[in-house]
Formats: sequence, C-alpha cells, structure tokens
Amino acid sequence: MAPLSLWNRSLLFVTTSSLLLSTSGVAADEPKPKPENTITIQLGDPVPVQKFEHPPKFWISDVTDRSGNPQPMLVLKERGGIFLDKQPTAILKESIEQSLKSANLLAADQASADLVVRVYLFHFGLASGSVLDLFGKVEFSGMVKNPKTGESQEVKATGTSIANGAVRKKNIQKNVQENIEAALRDATRNFVRGTQLKDAVAQLYKPGELSTSPPAASTSN
Amino acid sequence: MRQLVVVIALVGLFAAAASARPKDQAPLFKSAEAKHFTTAEGVELSPAFVDYFYAELRNELTKAKLVNEVIGEGEAVDDADAAKSVVISGSITEYKKGNVVKSALIGFGAGFKSLRMDADVVRRSDKQNLCAIHVHVKVDPRWNEKVMAKGAAHEMVKEMKKALTEGGKPSAPEVTKPS
Repeated sequence: MAPLSLWNRSLLFVTTSSLLLSTSGVAADEPKPKPENTITIQLGDPVPVQKFEHPPKFWISDVTDRSGNPQPMLVLKERGGIFLDKQPTAILKESIEQSLKSANLLAADQASADLVVRVYLFHFGLASGSVLDLFGKVEFSGMVKNPKTGESQEVKATGTSIANGAVRKKNIQKNVQENIEAALRDATRNFVRGTQLKDAVAQLYKPGELSTSPPAASTSN
Repeated sequence: MRQLVVVIALVGLFAAAASARPKDQAPLFKSAEAKHFTTAEGVELSPAFVDYFYAELRNELTKAKLVNEVIGEGEAVDDADAAKSVVISGSITEYKKGNVVKSALIGFGAGFKSLRMDADVVRRSDKQNLCAIHVHVKVDPRWNEKVMAKGAAHEMVKEMKKALTEGGKPSAPEVTKPS
C-alpha cells in the first residue's frame, strides 16, 4: 500500500475529527433520566363513574402501547428532558382501575368479570401546540368484551389539557406534570362517563337474558 | 374632615361591591360539551389544528366561567341536568394561508392569515339553537396555526358569552381580530 500524501492525510484527519465531533455532540444532546428530571403522574381523586342500569364488573386485561413512540417515557426532549417514572400503559391502567374500583365496578379477577376491557393507547403526553403554552393529550380506545358471549365493542376516549408555558426548568417540569395529569383525568373521565361505554354495556351485558340465550359467535377484536 | 372620611369609605365600599358582583354571578349553564369542529371542503388545515382548537375552546370555556363544568365529547349527562346543558358544534368555513412578503411590504393587515368559523350553541334537552356565532380571525402569516386557534377560541367564547347573556340572539355579528 502506497504511503498517503500530506494532502490526503490532512483530509483524512479533518473528516475523522468532524465525524467524531458530530457523534459526541449528538450523544451530549440526548437527555438521560435522573431523579431531578423525572415526574410522577397520578390521577388524584378517582373519577366518578356513570350510573349503569345493570352495573357490570369490569376487568382491565391489558394495556397495549400503539403510539409508535420509541421513547414513551420521555415527554419533553428540550431543556435536559423530562421523563415519566412509569410506562404510560401502567399509568393509564392504574387510573382506570382506580376509578372503577371506587365505584365498586372492578372485578376481583378476570374469571369473575362480566366485561373484560383491553386498552390500546394511542397518545400519552405532550402534543404539538402553540409556542405559547403546553398541550397535553391522552388518547386511547378500549375493546370491551363479554367473555361469556364473545361479543365486543370499541369505546374511544380522548383527554386534552392546555397549560401555561414557563421559562425556568423547575416551572416547566411542574406545568408539564400538571398538564399531563389533567389530560389523563380528562381521558379517564371521557371513558368512564362516555355514552360509548354506556351503549357498549347496554349491548354487551344483559344479566337477565344470559341464562336463556345461547352464546353468540365470537367477534374479532 | 370626619364627613369626608365617611364619604370616601362609602364610595370605596360601593366600588368594591360593584366590582365583586360580576365575579359572584352564577354560571348560566350546568355543563357544556364542545365537539370537534368539522372543516369545509377546500380548507387546508392540519388535523392537529382541529384537535388543538377543541382543547383551546374547552380551556377558554372553563376560563370564561360561562358554565359550571366543561365536559368532553360524547360524555353522558344526567337527564335532570339536560335542560341546563349545552352542546357546542361548528365548522371551519374558510382558511387563507396569507402572504409573508405582502405582509412585510404593505403592512396594515395585508397578507395576514385569515380564518372563518361558524358555531352553534344548542340546548341538550330539546335541541333548541340558543345562538349562532360567526368568527373571523386574522393573524400575522409568520405565526403558526396553533396561535391562530388560540385567538379563534378566545373570540368564539367571548362572542358566545355576549350572545348568551344578552338573551340568546339568533346570530352574533361578525368579529374581526386583526392580530
């Protein structure tokens, strides 16, 4: 192999150093979760559930993340990043269960449940808003299924919240936390108090007819 | 001197009472359900705009204290509360993108982004139309569309409050917000 000329060597040096600098710059910009930039999202008081004619017992079987977000726990990338302490799926499951439990509508286990809900999470956290404020959004859909008949129906829920922006990191973190909590509460409320859930329960759960009617064919999820 | 102090105190008390009265006023309705606005054919706005406007409208309704509670789309309301509840629906009828060059060279509102919206406020129980609002918002073309949504929601609720407190006129006058 022929030795490199001075020109080629300097060109190689410049290319290599620029590549190294750019990769180190990317690594430095990537925020890392630390206790000081991690927030806890909680529902607070349980959301009051609507009254049903025949109150069924629900069971949340599973919550699947369908957001397509590669970093679901990173809610804000700027200013050193803001992270969630738990997966959004776990937070959502907890909040729905908490509200159902307070209304005595949560079954002890899946086997004893009248209706089983499988939740698909589409959005959790901040969405693109104006530059002046923070726009929190939680969007999911629940597939309500009667395990005895196999029939199922989809119930959609969305929660939004607008919070003021801030300049200081501490205030941004506080506003983001309050904003996502408000959106989560709104989405949970939209689900448990929605007419879609009311219709689904009325259609899928008829305690009087269960003993007389034969099981219907299973529908796809 | 003593008389002057008494007069000043009375005037102060009167002013305080007058300013406190509107704050203590009870909201007109128990609940309001805001729906996602539809877009007319030819309106080139992103789906995120409608989503953001929905959130901003609910936020402005809460701030305006026109209703006790702002509920989400598709939420159930007790039959007893239906007569004191309203549903707000509407559509975006026109959107013009604006022109940055025109705005910078001419000024005075030329080349501004323009948005026209219609909204109906309907009583939940008997579906009676309480008022119809038409809003026209103009913003600088350099601002993003979410800022325009914020302005539109603010104007919409302001006009709604005016129309409903004045006794439910069938149609409010068109509003133009220059910036």
